Amino acid sequence: MKVKDLAEKLSYECLVSEGNEEEILDGYTSDLLSDVMGNSPEDSILITIQAHKNTVAVASLANINVLLICNNRPAPDDMLKAAADEGISVFRTKDNQFTASWKVHELL
Amino acid sequence: MEGTRAALMLIDLHNHSCLSPCGSLEMSPTRLVEEAALKGISMLALTDHNAGDNLPAFDKCCRRAGIVPVFGMEVTGREEAHLLCLFGNLKTAVRFGYEIYENLQTIPNNPDMMGDQIIVDEDENIIGELDKYLASGAVDFSMEELIIMVHERNGLFIPAHIDRPAFSIKSQLGFLPDNDYDAVEVMHSPCDLNSRRYFEITGSDAHYPENVGMRSFEIDLKTPDFEELKLFLSK
Repeated sequence: MKVKDLAEKLSYECLVSEGNEEEILDGYTSDLLSDVMGNSPEDSILITIQAHKNTVAVASLANINVLLICNNRPAPDDMLKAAADEGISVFRTKDNQFTASWKVHELL
Repeated sequence: MEGTRAALMLIDLHNHSCLSPCGSLEMSPTRLVEEAALKGISMLALTDHNAGDNLPAFDKCCRRAGIVPVFGMEVTGREEAHLLCLFGNLKTAVRFGYEIYENLQTIPNNPDMMGDQIIVDEDENIIGELDKYLASGAVDFSMEELIIMVHERNGLFIPAHIDRPAFSIKSQLGFLPDNDYDAVEVMHSPCDLNSRRYFEITGSDAHYPENVGMRSFEIDLKTPDFEELKLFLSK
């Protein structure tokens, strides 16, 4: 499924849309970025509350196309700029990681 | 260069007091400084979790013992990695401590389960305690924001135990991002996380009197002075 189609179905707030044409094949939910690097499948959506610039660096290394920030956490400007530079989409929701994960799983 | 060896100074920039819930109640600033003096430490930091309320007592104890105090905190940043924020000026550090404590998102402390968070004076009299649980939760500042905040206040920013399996840059991020660190604290040198060009120090992270000075480091300083330390690390 394309990032933009998933985003449309979930009607989550879009903060960066650079990677919206990318295909998402899988998902991973974690708030430990070292765990994300070690275990997340490629072409995944990362569901997390880790909203800072380093999340983008990890996503880029782990071939993650889209970040979903849960619990309506504020996403700092330097994070959003880094995501735009790396071609990674960022969405935000008030859902927690559990709820967001099953909603995304239903659609994939 | 044998002649310069006499200038080696023993320094320990990572120690807790009874304000840290995980610290021993015996570990008053008085006791910490006494232990450090026995171990020949010239420059000593107190770095309680996310608060600096024991720094005034620590200052007086260090002056009594002839040890140069470094006023610090071990701040839990947004990434939930532990970060040493160190200052040469007591007032600056205490104010920074209030700012950090104010911003800390955490739960109320339950002393029976989690331990006491005791503020004392230089003679070990209890003068207060803190309500927010200091050893979990995090402040809503990213590491990059904290670096700027510390440097604006002429402090030193050193990520703590970057190679530890928990509450470290390694556990939270898995890599060391390129930032304006003044040094990095490692458990093991050489460290199994790539510490790149950053200067590696070790710290005792003492929570009990017997651990004080166990992992101090030695460098060649003209005088044990915070500004000299900054100068050394900036080279």
